[in-house]
Amino acid sequence: MTMLLSLLYLLQPLEHLLRHILNGIHSIGFTWAWSIVALTLLVRMLLVPLTVKQIHSMQNMQAHAPQMKELQRKYKGDRQKLNEELMKFYKENNINPASSCLPLVAQFPIFIGLYYTLRNFAKHPPAGNLSWLHFVPSIAAHVTSHWSGYILLAVYVTSQLASTYFMSGSMQQSQRIIMYVLPFAFIFVIARFPAGLVLYWMTTNLWTVGQGLITRRLIPKVGPPGGGGGGGGPKRSSRTPPKDSPDGGAPAEPPEPKPSGQPRQVRRKKKARR
Amino acid sequence: MQPTDSAGVGARIVRYLGVALIWGYRLTLKPFLGAGSCKYHPSCSEYAIDAYKEFGLFKGTVLAAWRLLRCNPWSRGGVDYAHDQQVFT
Repeated sequence: MTMLLSLLYLLQPLEHLLRHILNGIHSIGFTWAWSIVALTLLVRMLLVPLTVKQIHSMQNMQAHAPQMKELQRKYKGDRQKLNEELMKFYKENNINPASSCLPLVAQFPIFIGLYYTLRNFAKHPPAGNLSWLHFVPSIAAHVTSHWSGYILLAVYVTSQLASTYFMSGSMQQSQRIIMYVLPFAFIFVIARFPAGLVLYWMTTNLWTVGQGLITRRLIPKVGPPGGGGGGGGPKRSSRTPPKDSPDGGAPAEPPEPKPSGQPRQVRRKKKARR
Repeated sequence: MQPTDSAGVGARIVRYLGVALIWGYRLTLKPFLGAGSCKYHPSCSEYAIDAYKEFGLFKGTVLAAWRLLRCNPWSRGGVDYAHDQQVFT
């Protein structure tokens, strides 16, 4: 218990920091709501260098896709082993897998600080306008305290789904499905958050979507995207030309024995690594 | 994985507090962070659970934090088990 309490004390500086940053942005002349949007954009801009790195590593992955396919074929039954072998392969070929945990977790302090700041706003309203775009009366109030909150929630869920679509390229199918379902499950949790927090997540998701769109432009796909999700079945006949497949971490298909002499039948089953 | 030392009941509870915290994170906060996968195997949260089970709350936290710091865009990633850690020798 005391540990949890001291954890809360640790969070206090976060709240102050967030409050200072928001105050700063607010004093430039933004309303509180737009300050949150500006803060979100600021955070994401700081993360842009990482995005550039991601693009490089994705290109690298695409270049090595055939070998990775081969690994996936070899260790098809054993997910654990496949993961290990893939990791070794990355290391040997100087591939830096795109995602890493730290940038994701680094959003926590901002999120928590913002939560406490907004809760404080609800108790002691600051000077200035707390509404947003003339239809959200107060970003410090609970999302569902006004009909506009439901619109925010709808935009949040949509943007979350869209950003998952762009970010889940290397995920397993089951994990991806969970990621698609969870936003709906969490509506009930989010409904109790201050509207400003939803504003933060909305903005950051929309940024992710925009980034995903730009990234797709920058990384030319080899051929058109394949059949999408797991419906294809082993008998799919469409085949990429033997050069390269954009397939990244998607699980390989069971290799049906082929009479033709081609050594490698790269199948285009999943969407490419995005 | 069995705890390495013969920890008392209290220590064991504390140890599983760490594991419970990670599960709490997985079920509640992780979905908010957006999709993405770890560049290490096992993933950071799996690593943290292993570390808590094997090294207890304090060392486990240090190991998990260190792993999280290493799981950054400038690192290489790879296979990295909590059991093979080099921090506490």
